Amino acid sequence: MAKIQVCDISFSYDKETNAVEHVSFQIEAGSYTTIIGHNGSGKSTIAKLLIDLLEKDSGSIIVDGMELNDENIYTIRDKIGIVFQNPDNQFIGATVADDIAFGLENHQVASEAMEQIIQTYAKRVNMSRYLLSEPTHLSGGQKQRVAIAGVLAMAPQIMIFDEATSMLDPQGKAEINEMIQSIHRETGMTIISITHDIEEVSHSDHVIVMDQGHIVMDGKPEDILLREKELVALKLDIPFALKFTKGLQRKGISCRLCTTMEGAVEEVCRLHSKN
Amino acid sequence: MPITFKELSHEYNLGTPFAYLALDHVSLAIPEGKVTAIIGETGSGKTTLVQHLNALLLPTGGELEVAGRTISSNEKPKHLKALRKDVGLVFQFPEYQLFEETIIKDVCFGPKNFGVDEETAVQLAEKYLRIVGIDESDFHKSPFDLSGGQKRRVAIAGILAMDPQVLVLDEPTAGLDPQGAKEMMQLFSRLNKEYGKTVLIVTHDMEHVLHYCDEVIVVADGHIREQCEVHEFFRSVELLKELKINPPAVIRLREELREKGFQIPDDMIDVEQLIDAVASEVKGHE
Repeated sequence: MAKIQVCDISFSYDKETNAVEHVSFQIEAGSYTTIIGHNGSGKSTIAKLLIDLLEKDSGSIIVDGMELNDENIYTIRDKIGIVFQNPDNQFIGATVADDIAFGLENHQVASEAMEQIIQTYAKRVNMSRYLLSEPTHLSGGQKQRVAIAGVLAMAPQIMIFDEATSMLDPQGKAEINEMIQSIHRETGMTIISITHDIEEVSHSDHVIVMDQGHIVMDGKPEDILLREKELVALKLDIPFALKFTKGLQRKGISCRLCTTMEGAVEEVCRLHSKN
Repeated sequence: MPITFKELSHEYNLGTPFAYLALDHVSLAIPEGKVTAIIGETGSGKTTLVQHLNALLLPTGGELEVAGRTISSNEKPKHLKALRKDVGLVFQFPEYQLFEETIIKDVCFGPKNFGVDEETAVQLAEKYLRIVGIDESDFHKSPFDLSGGQKRRVAIAGILAMDPQVLVLDEPTAGLDPQGAKEMMQLFSRLNKEYGKTVLIVTHDMEHVLHYCDEVIVVADGHIREQCEVHEFFRSVELLKELKINPPAVIRLREELREKGFQIPDDMIDVEQLIDAVASEVKGHE
């Protein structure tokens, strides 16, 4: 059974226009799903509905076999961790250690046990050296890593990244993207990443494309990313590898269309060595 | 006249135990009438550098010439107001600075501050709101009802309405979606080509540097590490590696293919040319 089943949910901020309208989708356990769409398409609203930070107007959300309602919301929230966009808006503690401890304290974890957990997850995100550092002395990427550690410390089954890299510099972006991938690989956790980064999409298992509160495409990245015209009409990027391999086809080369850079290099080398 | 830095230094918290030298004897000439990218790692001194351009920060050593004025370390600049009219500085996340009841009032704030009468200010505001792509029907709405990208356009219109000769933008596309970012860069390009503005852009996005800028200045540890034309910059892959810069996709592919033995010139930066080169090489093998 799917890890998350969303059935026909709608939500409106102003009770006039729906930010999310009749949306249904499924997320498989252990998958890495990316959700894309231009600003204002409803992506982040979906993330907030999943953890009931916003309350849906209609429809149902089933997480791990449980239908989200007022009684089990806290049980469900324990299963889902979320990392937001702005590194400065989610740093609560006075130090790195305090920040990682925040969720644990809320769950009344014994202080002896807490110490150990903090160490473990600080290490996991390569922040052990900074346990006593204050947020003002950390880069954006480091703050996001601390946010990730705080979420991991709660041992969720699902992690949502809501544009977690969009405010970071290239180095910070690369760090966080690598971290997301390694968490997925090592823990088999279900990952949902809301993103603008088409390269990240090409490395995920499943992509959902949103526009004006609706899901307009849902499938495997290698299929979806080939639908160039639709993506462009939705004001989305298409992978550079696709532009390139399409260009080769236009020149009369019978090459396969690729969505990743590695794929394109491999394909061109294959053609080159043929004969 | 180019913008000229002469041995300019800036030390934060001067004379305290927290003193920190952010710019160290920087000498630099930024050409007029071009789009110049200022790049470098976080903490390298890029923002400190650009904040000198309208005397928001004053040098702690050396001097700078901009828009016909000299700003030096040992004197308070005269005619500061006129300088700030001539050099428009757009901060990171400028949308956080919107404050007025309506969009049009927000954009009028700058010109009115510089002594323009109400009617002219409104005309200027309308002109620049149109240029940045804000719909006329939104002019009298609250700026806080707009999306993030739209808010940023309003904030930029507010600076443009002062009609600066030099436009300085600190990470103007951070946090925007790819399409929003592209439109924003096209806007700066237009302001340069059609309105003759000198544009300086602090950015981390190498695709933007490649497609929209003429010159690159690399700041590293408070020094100018490199200054050259964009084409030249993306030719020297060693330098890019050394600077830990992730090159634009076309350069990454070009380099990967060159490593695999393709005969592609190292100055190729256009995707169509790259396609042509690869196509003819593959065909040659068939």
